[in-house]
Amino acid sequence: MLRAEVNELLTRTGPGTPAGDLFRHYWIPALLAEELPENDCPPVRVKILSERLIAFRSTDGEYGLVDEFCAHRGASLWFGRVEEGGIRCAYHGWKYATDGRCLEVPSEPENSNFCQKVKLTSYPLVRIGDVLWTYLGPPENQPEPPEFEWIHVPPEQAYTSKRWQESNWLQALEGGIDSSHVSWLHSGGLKSDPLFKGAKGNEYNLNDLRPFFEVAEADGGLYVGARRNAEEGMYYWRITPWVMPSFTMVPPRGDHPVHGHFWVPIDDENCWVYTFDYHPTRALTPAERQAMKDGHGVHSRNIPGTYRPMENKDVDYLMDREAQKRGETFSGIRGIAQQDASLQESMGPIVDRTKERLVSSDTGIIKARQKLRKAVEALRDEGATPPGVDPAHHRVRSAAIVLPQAESFIEAAREAVEVRPGVAHVSV
Amino acid sequence: MINSISSCARAATAEEARYRIDRPIAGRSARVVALDAAAAEVVRRVAAMPWGASRFYPSASTFDPGRDLEDADVAIMVATADADGDAAAAIARACVERGIMTAGLVLGNRLDVGDAVSALRPYARNLMVTEDVDDVAAVLAALRA
Repeated sequence: MLRAEVNELLTRTGPGTPAGDLFRHYWIPALLAEELPENDCPPVRVKILSERLIAFRSTDGEYGLVDEFCAHRGASLWFGRVEEGGIRCAYHGWKYATDGRCLEVPSEPENSNFCQKVKLTSYPLVRIGDVLWTYLGPPENQPEPPEFEWIHVPPEQAYTSKRWQESNWLQALEGGIDSSHVSWLHSGGLKSDPLFKGAKGNEYNLNDLRPFFEVAEADGGLYVGARRNAEEGMYYWRITPWVMPSFTMVPPRGDHPVHGHFWVPIDDENCWVYTFDYHPTRALTPAERQAMKDGHGVHSRNIPGTYRPMENKDVDYLMDREAQKRGETFSGIRGIAQQDASLQESMGPIVDRTKERLVSSDTGIIKARQKLRKAVEALRDEGATPPGVDPAHHRVRSAAIVLPQAESFIEAAREAVEVRPGVAHVSV
Repeated sequence: MINSISSCARAATAEEARYRIDRPIAGRSARVVALDAAAAEVVRRVAAMPWGASRFYPSASTFDPGRDLEDADVAIMVATADADGDAAAAIARACVERGIMTAGLVLGNRLDVGDAVSALRPYARNLMVTEDVDDVAAVLAALRA
């Protein structure tokens, strides 16, 4: 249960809101690099943190992210022409640079300096890995670029996809922290999904449906450990890191690539889910990459030409009651991503957390909300920099490991949850 | 009237969320037991806040499982670096016999409270290691204690 005012505090991320100010301290994904594939390509509408923007790639390869609407009459620059080092409004030809400066107002005299007085709001847009990252906060607070391992391995070792989720960002994120649903909602995929099957850890998962949970603080967020019985005297641990505000990694299985998510608010009732897979020490195989493109593992299969999953609410998520009855899927929905999204969207655009009945296995969610609330309030009241801004906090991994029962997962697995370049992830 | 919009699309709107049945939600009856002296201070402070049917025990020596676990939903053990592992074991055994969920909150830096975590790990199905003493009240509030 969460008080209504705290629910409001954490779920509203538009300009001027306390949680919006929190998000505006981080680099966050704005779009995939594939959406702006070449210089002077068509611009792309981007809406994040309730701000409508336009992204474009100029003639010389610079990325721009500016106010979507022309300063003149408010026409959308989505109709604009990207040419000769800027984007030109299709209505009256006003032209803007990647940093939002107005370069030309054709209706003014040739020697007019009027355009120098016009500037659109703009934000930095930089490519790191497969993602174009932005920072929507004040320039004086701009942190160093993100250092998540998935965006720094060679391109052949990583794959990133994106999907639209029609719910508030927080209920989506909470699914990534809540390890207790995995044994139920996603149980079907452990045996059949090409990106999961065959791992020894799957047996531990399926043989012990009542895991114990342990939550420990990390500098940038939390580690959530789920432990199950393994061989005599041993526990099988699955360790999920959360880095504030909205990055989580899923514990790996065998030598399969390791994966995770970054949830980005579009507005208060929608979010983007950036989903990645990577292997720290080897290239993804063609079969693995194809499986990811086909929506296996934690990826979604999207309607061609869009980032909307095929299993969406307008088609009842392609519910298959027969597959549910046969036990192929627990909920009747295909794919882990939409199994999660279907239930999270069913809660309503912003779930009313005053009506919840949490249990003690929800400790990870309780602690994450508490940590978010404290960070939002410390920023609002004292200007304190929130956890997760420091790029050092990004250098975390998930892990799956078998440990003697007496050992602390966080101590025994300390190296396993740190990025070690050239060393494979710890997995069972 | 037949509506061509899917069932899920119709149901997942903010407008439809307003029709969710509103009825009182019963709280959970927690037993909050301190396992060492430093934890006792925290438990006393939290006990002074308004709670429902929960009860608080600043010392495990005053906790009688036979008497105090009656009607309990969850037992929450609070510890710092000096946790009494024997007390945790006794409480946990009594909870297992009665089918009562156990949780542990270990207060302190995770590098300093390793022994306490080890002492509680076998007995707490859900364990939180935290430097923030406010988490005790936060967990209880979230559980409607």
